[in-house]
Amino acid sequence: MMAQPARLDAAKAGAFSGAAINRSRPLQFRLDGRIIAGFAGDTVLSAVLAAGIYTTGQRDDGPLALTERFAPAIASASRGRGPQRPLAMARTPAQDGADYVTIGPDDSRLRSGRLARLLRPARSLGLRLDAQHGLPMPWRTLPGAAGPHAELIVVGGGVAGMVAALAGAKAGLSVIVLESAPVLGGHSRLFGTLDGEDTPDATITRMRDEIAASDAITVMCHAEVFAARTGIVRAHITTVDDGIVSASVVDLTARAIVLATGTVERLPIFAGNRLPGTVGTLEAFALAHHYAVWPGHSAVFATGSNAAYRLAMLANDAGVDTRRIIDSRPRPQSRFIEFSRAYGITQTTGSIIAAAQPARGGTGLDLLPQLTTGGALQDGALGAERLVLCGGWQPELTLWHMAGGASQWEAEPARLAPLGQVDGIVLAGSAAGWLSRQACLDSGTDAVAQLLDHKRVAIAEHLLDPIYETPDAPTPVAAADAGPAPAFLDGGQRLSRRAPPEPKGMLSRLVRRGRPVATAMLEPLAVADVAARVQLGHVPPISAGVVARERVAMVTIGREDAPSATTDTTAPLVPDFLAGRFGPRPTLWTLASPDGRQFDVGALLQPDQDQRDPFAAIGVVVRADREMAIALVDEGYGEVGRVLGLRENGRSTPVHLVSAYGAASDAALG
Amino acid sequence: MSQTRVDFAIVGATPQARLLAGLLAGTHGRTVLLQGESHAGYGLPRHLDLSVGAITRPQTWALLGDTVPEVHRLATRIGKRGAASRLDPLVLARSAAGQAALGHVRHMTSAFGLAAEPYRGKALSEGTAGVLLRDAILLQLTSAEAAVDDWLQRQGVLRLAQDESLTIHADGSGLARHADTEVAVGQTILADDMALLAHLPPAQWPELFVRQAASTVLTGPVAPLAAPVLHDLDTGLWVQQQAGGALVAFGPGATGTTARHLAALIGEDHRFEQAGQSDYGRIATRDGAPAVGRLGGTGADVLAGFGSIGAFLAPAVARWLCGAATPDEAAWMGAHLVNRRRDDASPSVRDLGAAA
Repeated sequence: MMAQPARLDAAKAGAFSGAAINRSRPLQFRLDGRIIAGFAGDTVLSAVLAAGIYTTGQRDDGPLALTERFAPAIASASRGRGPQRPLAMARTPAQDGADYVTIGPDDSRLRSGRLARLLRPARSLGLRLDAQHGLPMPWRTLPGAAGPHAELIVVGGGVAGMVAALAGAKAGLSVIVLESAPVLGGHSRLFGTLDGEDTPDATITRMRDEIAASDAITVMCHAEVFAARTGIVRAHITTVDDGIVSASVVDLTARAIVLATGTVERLPIFAGNRLPGTVGTLEAFALAHHYAVWPGHSAVFATGSNAAYRLAMLANDAGVDTRRIIDSRPRPQSRFIEFSRAYGITQTTGSIIAAAQPARGGTGLDLLPQLTTGGALQDGALGAERLVLCGGWQPELTLWHMAGGASQWEAEPARLAPLGQVDGIVLAGSAAGWLSRQACLDSGTDAVAQLLDHKRVAIAEHLLDPIYETPDAPTPVAAADAGPAPAFLDGGQRLSRRAPPEPKGMLSRLVRRGRPVATAMLEPLAVADVAARVQLGHVPPISAGVVARERVAMVTIGREDAPSATTDTTAPLVPDFLAGRFGPRPTLWTLASPDGRQFDVGALLQPDQDQRDPFAAIGVVVRADREMAIALVDEGYGEVGRVLGLRENGRSTPVHLVSAYGAASDAALG
Repeated sequence: MSQTRVDFAIVGATPQARLLAGLLAGTHGRTVLLQGESHAGYGLPRHLDLSVGAITRPQTWALLGDTVPEVHRLATRIGKRGAASRLDPLVLARSAAGQAALGHVRHMTSAFGLAAEPYRGKALSEGTAGVLLRDAILLQLTSAEAAVDDWLQRQGVLRLAQDESLTIHADGSGLARHADTEVAVGQTILADDMALLAHLPPAQWPELFVRQAASTVLTGPVAPLAAPVLHDLDTGLWVQQQAGGALVAFGPGATGTTARHLAALIGEDHRFEQAGQSDYGRIATRDGAPAVGRLGGTGADVLAGFGSIGAFLAPAVARWLCGAATPDEAAWMGAHLVNRRRDDASPSVRDLGAAA
C-alpha cells in the first residue's frame, strides 16, 4: 500500500485541512493493481495524487502531469459482469475495496499485469500517450438513456448556477442542477472578498442550504454535461449505490437551460508547461481545500492574476515553502500582493517562466524565468517541487458553441467572449464573461429572467479601481526556443502543442521552401486552444469565433435531421446526364457481340472499331445484365445488324445492334 | 474623396475566386478588386479542389485536359510543392442509378486517357460499388493562403476588406468604397456560394439555382479508408482523410445528416468521434452542371455549381471573361450560361449531374 506523501498535515494545514475528507475513515482501493490509500470523501483522483502519483504517462517527447483535466477514464477491473461503464477519476468517489483499471489510448492490461507493475515508474500511471488526440473519453460515444425532465436545467453549481437555480425555483419552475464536482460551490472561494460583501463561504453555505430546503430543485453532483442543444443536455453521471460506484450517460430535457459553466484557466505557454509538478491555480486550490492534497514541500507561482497571491498565502499558512511569485505584470497592485509581501514571499514582477524541465538533482522542476521583454533575470534559475500556473481566465464556452452559440475575440482582456443568443439557452456567471462575485450572482438571476421573458436584472461589475487592483494580464507566452520540452496550448484532454521553432540555417531554409506557407489545423480545438492560437498569431482574431465554434468536439443529441432517402433499387434506363449526347432523337437498341460477352454500363459505342475520339461516339451502353444489353444510339445509326465498335478498357470490340428496344423507350427519353 | 475605376470586382474566397482574380490581373492585364477573406481557410473546408469529378460529359473532360496542367503549374509556382498533391479518389455508389452513373463516369474518364478502374478492394460494404480515379491532383491552396495573398499582390489585385461596401448595380457594374476612395467597378463577378448568397438580388435569382443547406463534419482519427478521398454519388458526400487519420466530410444537409451519411459510408469498422462541424448554405444548380455568365444576361457575372473542379477551370473562365477564350472554351461557357432553362437539354450541360 502506498503512503500519502502529498496529504497535508491536518494540524498544520489551516484552510487546507481538507473540507471534503474524513480522516477518521481511512480506505484503500486498487488502481491497475496498485493499492492506493485515502479517506472517505476522496475521489479516486485526489487519493491517487495524495499517494504521490503525479504523472499520467509518457509521450515520445516527455512525461505529462496527472491533473483533473488530464486524467484517464477508469473502469471496474472486474470483467465479465456486463458492459464496462467508464468512470471519470475526478468524479468517482473513492470506495474501500474497489478495484479499477485505467482506460488509456493503449491496452490497460499492459499496465495491470504483474510484469508491468514491476516495471512501472512509482510516480506514474504509466500510460503511453503518443496518440495524436489525447486521452479517450469513452462516455462521449455512448448513447444517452432517457433521463428526467425539468422546466429548467442549470449546468454548473458555482455561485451563478446556484443563484439561477434558486431564481428558477422562486419563479415556480422545477429545476435540475448538474455539477461535475462532488459539492456545489465552484471556485469563488479562491477570489476572496471585497469590502461589504459576504465571504464566499457564507454566500455558498447560505445558497446550499436554500437549495437543500427547496423541493423544486434536484441537485446531481459528479455529473459532467458534455453535450447541449436547445431543450436537451447529455450528462455523464456518477452515482454510488450501496457502496458500488457506477456511471451512466443520460439525456435530460428542459425548455430552459442556464449554462453556468465557469471559466477555463489558461495555461501560460512555455516549454515544459505540462510536466509533472505543474498545476493550475484553480486545481491546486480545489485539491488543497477539499482534500488537503498538495504535492511537494516547495512551490513557485507564475501568474498574471491576483488570485495566485491568495493561493500562495494559503499554501504558506499550510506549511508549503512558497519560494517566489513570478508576475508577468510590470507593477501589479492588489491587496493580496500587499499581504503576501507581509508574509515575506519573494515577488518578481515583469517576468514569466521561459522554460521548465525535470530537476536534474532530484524531484521537482528546474525553472528558467525571464523578463517579459525577453531579457534574462539577474538571479537566474530556480527550482521547486511544484510550479503553480495562472494564465488568466477564459469563459468556458464549449457547451455554448455546441448549442450553436457564437463568440468573438476580445483583444482586451485577450479572450473569446460569447456573442448573440441561442433559443432557450442562456449563459450566466463567469461563462458569460463576468468577473466579480456580485456580477456572477446577478447574472444568474438575470439568466432566468431572460429565459422567462421577465424584467431583466441590471448587472454591474464590482471591481476595485485598477490603481488598487491591477487587472489580469494576457496569458504569458515565452520564446519558442527557450527549452527542450514541448509547450502545450491548454491543459485539457486535447494535446495541442505549440509548433516547434523553425530550424535555423541555410539548409533548413532550403528544405522549407518546398512546403506550404501555412498548415491546415484540422484537429478539434478546446476553447482555450483557440485563444492560445490567437495570441500566438496562428489564428486571426477575426476568425477566432468561427474556429472555436467549428472545432468544438460535438456530440450530436436531440433533434434528428430528415431521414436519409432509401437506396433506390431501380435506375432510369436513360439518366438525365445523357440528354442530348447522341443527337436529338436517340433510340434504344439491344446489343450483342459475336463472343457473347457481357458489357459494362457506360461503355462508348463508336461508328467503327478504329475510332477512339469520345466526341465521335454515337452511343453508349445503358444497361447490361445477364439477360440483355441495351444501348442508347444516335438515331442515324439505329439499324438491325449494324456493326459498331465498343470501347472498353482501351480496346475496341465489334458489336452489333440486335433490335430496337421497345416503344416505351421513346417515352423514357422524354 | 478620390475616385478610381477597376475592370472587375470579384467577390469570393475560394481558390477558384482567388485564382480567377490573379489571372485576370496578371495574365490578362485587367484591373481587379477582390473582396474575400483571405483567412477563409481557418474555417472547416467546404469543398475540395480536385482535377477530377463525377463527370459524364466529354466537353468538360476535354476542357479540363487543357486547364489542369496550367493550374497545376500555377499552383506549384504560388505555393511550392505543398500546394498540390496527387492521389486516387474513390467514387462510390450503392443505388442502382448511382452505380449506373459510376459506369458512365469510368468510361468517359478512360476515354480521355485517365486511368479509372473499378475498386476491387475489400474495404467497401456489401452492395457498394466504387471507381478509383487514378493520379488526380488535389490543390491545397487554402493551406497556403499567405502565398496566394502574396501572388495576388504581385499580380496587382486590389483588396477590398470584408466590411467595406460594394454596391452591385443591375447591369453588373458596381461601386466600392475602399478607405477614402470610391472605386467604380466595370463588371462584378460573384465567384462563390457565399458571395452569391450575400449579394444575389432576389429579383435576379436564376431559375437554375437552388438554395441548399450544407455542412462539414470533422472527425477524430479513424483507421485508413479505402482511399484518401471518397465521393458518394448517392448522397453527394465528399470525405477526405487527413494525414493523422481525421476525416473531413461535407455534403448537403445539416451536420446530423452529414455525420449519418459519413457513418453509413465508412461503416462500423470506422466509428468516429465528431471533432468539429459547420452548417452553412450553398447553391446547387437544378441540372447539376456548372453555371457561368451574367444574371439575366445583363447583370453581375456568377460562378456556381462547379463542384470539385472550379479552381481547375479558372484559366478558361478568365479567358472567356476577357474575350480570349478558345472556340471550345467559348462553346463550353455558352452551353453553361446561368440563364439556361431546365428544359433546354442543351448538349453540353448536366455533366456533373451524376448524383442520383
